Amino acid sequence: MSLARRARFDRIIAEAGIVLLSAVLIIWTIVPLYNMVRVSLQEKEDVLASSVFPTSVSLHSFYTALHEGYWLLKNFWGQMGNSLYIGITVAFLTLAIGTLTSFTISRMRIKHGWMLTNAALMTYMIPMSFLAIPFYSIMGKYGLLDNPIALIAVEVTFATPYAIFIFKQYGASIPHELDEAARIDGASPPQIFYRIYLPLMAPALVAIGTYALLLSWNEYLYAFLLLSSDSSITVPVGLGKFLNSDEAPWNYLMAAAIIYALPPMAIYYAFRRKMNSGLTMGGVKG
Amino acid sequence: MTKFSRRQALAGMGALTAASTVRVRSAKAADPVNVWWTQGFYEQENKAVIDTMAAWEKSSGVKVNLTIMNGADLISKLIAAMQVGDVPDLVHSVTGDRFLVPKAAWDDNLVDVTDVVDTQKSEFHPTALDASQFYNAKLKKRSYYTVPIKCSTLMEEMWRPLVQEAGFDDKDIPTTQDAYYDFFQTVQDKLRGKGKRIYGLGFSMAAKEADAGTLFHAFLVAYGGAGIVLPNGKLNIDDPVVRKAATTALERLTTPYKKGYVPPGAINWGDVDNNNAFYAKQIVMTPNATISIAVAQMEKPDQYYKEILTTGIPNGNDGKPVPGILAVSPCLIPKGAKNIDGAKALLKSFIQPATLGNYIKETRARYLPVMLSTVKNDPYWTDPSDPHRPIAVQTGLVKPTIPWWMNYNPAYSGVMSEQIWSQAEANITQKNMTPEQATEEAVGRIKTIFERFQIT
Repeated sequence: MSLARRARFDRIIAEAGIVLLSAVLIIWTIVPLYNMVRVSLQEKEDVLASSVFPTSVSLHSFYTALHEGYWLLKNFWGQMGNSLYIGITVAFLTLAIGTLTSFTISRMRIKHGWMLTNAALMTYMIPMSFLAIPFYSIMGKYGLLDNPIALIAVEVTFATPYAIFIFKQYGASIPHELDEAARIDGASPPQIFYRIYLPLMAPALVAIGTYALLLSWNEYLYAFLLLSSDSSITVPVGLGKFLNSDEAPWNYLMAAAIIYALPPMAIYYAFRRKMNSGLTMGGVKG
Repeated sequence: MTKFSRRQALAGMGALTAASTVRVRSAKAADPVNVWWTQGFYEQENKAVIDTMAAWEKSSGVKVNLTIMNGADLISKLIAAMQVGDVPDLVHSVTGDRFLVPKAAWDDNLVDVTDVVDTQKSEFHPTALDASQFYNAKLKKRSYYTVPIKCSTLMEEMWRPLVQEAGFDDKDIPTTQDAYYDFFQTVQDKLRGKGKRIYGLGFSMAAKEADAGTLFHAFLVAYGGAGIVLPNGKLNIDDPVVRKAATTALERLTTPYKKGYVPPGAINWGDVDNNNAFYAKQIVMTPNATISIAVAQMEKPDQYYKEILTTGIPNGNDGKPVPGILAVSPCLIPKGAKNIDGAKALLKSFIQPATLGNYIKETRARYLPVMLSTVKNDPYWTDPSDPHRPIAVQTGLVKPTIPWWMNYNPAYSGVMSEQIWSQAEANITQKNMTPEQATEEAVGRIKTIFERFQIT
């Protein structure tokens, strides 16, 4: 076999391998999602059928979820509102605390400021679930059980260290000369923060804001532990109630889950370019 | 204008926070009764609780803060609450009798509710009363730490059309332990001969959730192992009769699996999966903790009345009835509850026979009443036109029953939580141990657990 033919053969083998691996990965990722959609499109009695394709397609379960037409979905939109309120508040507070901290540490050059960043990151050495009981105790002492503020406080606690780290790394790419020039023009630190630092941090803000939103959007452990009443729980806890029964209407559950997954998907696709640059930038600057 | 320093401002904020905390805490310590209740299977079941609480609220003038939640979540949340000392006043947990109460009573973390039980003591089923007593290691005495609300015992569900397709009729189904389960292996052979891809037995065998443990212990009792723990709390596993029963139970559960009469996936089944396999007609029969499989099909009259057949557990190989193990879902009051008197008053009202009977009825007989008068006074429970409910009543309330062994010693709760016997089944099916070896290993672990719970 000539060298050229050998090289071509190797390239074909490599490409075939890549295609095969990609196909496996795509199937691995898509099958659960497909199954979710398949179940949501079937009537209750058909969901356990072993057929790969829906035997009879129906949008009935989506209609039921949208109109809160099943007793376990009676407060679906209220729970959606709670998830949204908690998610947006967590994202806002994480951004506020993260940007102010990173600005203070890196731009105002506080002595030993690096220690704060490292100490915050050390909190990730303890798994979230290990802190569930201590947090429950703290919130109980402050009378915050069954109050969304408790969940917001917990989620902000977990999101902030990562936010500070990314903001600090990303902020290092913004030249200090810009701050100095602004200072010469008479800008105070708050003005530098609002007019120079924040606009230049936009990609990182989008990335971390989305990260914080999704962290609380998908949270289950702390949500069920800290929230109790039907009026305060979030959608994941509400959907968890389906799993109490051995005859769960899986089609309603899947339809509600798909509806619940739409807002974060929309946010991701709206901001995905900025997210990518925001998340990768921190990795090369330091 | 007076100017505040930063330190003064911080001190002021601290004082305000402290004041607001005190205000909230003192408000919580007032009159309302905080209730956590395990969510029902049906909307009407929840509604029965909500309505009863509302009626009591009206008559007593005491507010009830009722939170209904998923059963698994409730247990986790209650454990968290008990650890931090901020507990609800009253809790109803479906599986609490097996996994939470025994240890909590042992540690003196529950309020003694003997005065509540006493108000209806003559009404309660004797086994339900036994199942409500637990040992308190601090006070060194056994007492009522739970109030029985509803109960259940193992039932057997099967597809009548599949049995018929194999050439048999209802009356061909044997009534003794070994012959009963062997019969469904024959049914499988006949159906396979007709080209059906089906399994005869739907045994739950996973080391998780409750069904596999319930099934193993029914077998253990059937082979004579009911005395594994004595009523005085002593472990009796070295008794040759008990040891032999355990080995036989393991052997009789795992051999059909190894021979291909149980679906291979059964070693991973959660509590819902045998139901699903049954509905998908992957299996001919399955033992289940309640008659939920049939009840779930109540709105399909053909299936409910004609196709699904329910039987109680088979008799022993000697033809004598085998006692069913009665699981009792209780109400309890955790120690540290702020309104114990309110919780007890509410409970006394809730266990009035008529009130409790109405509530249990809304479970559609997934659960049985704990009062025999409920069954006697309401024809709903004995309706001869219903093919499932009267059989469940017979099995759980009329035929002999025994409580779970954690009522005698909380160590058995650890045996259940660690899924010791399901692990033993896995050792046989996955690691090729003999039933004797698997029993020996399980016994060793059980003895270790019991060492921590010595009743003197």
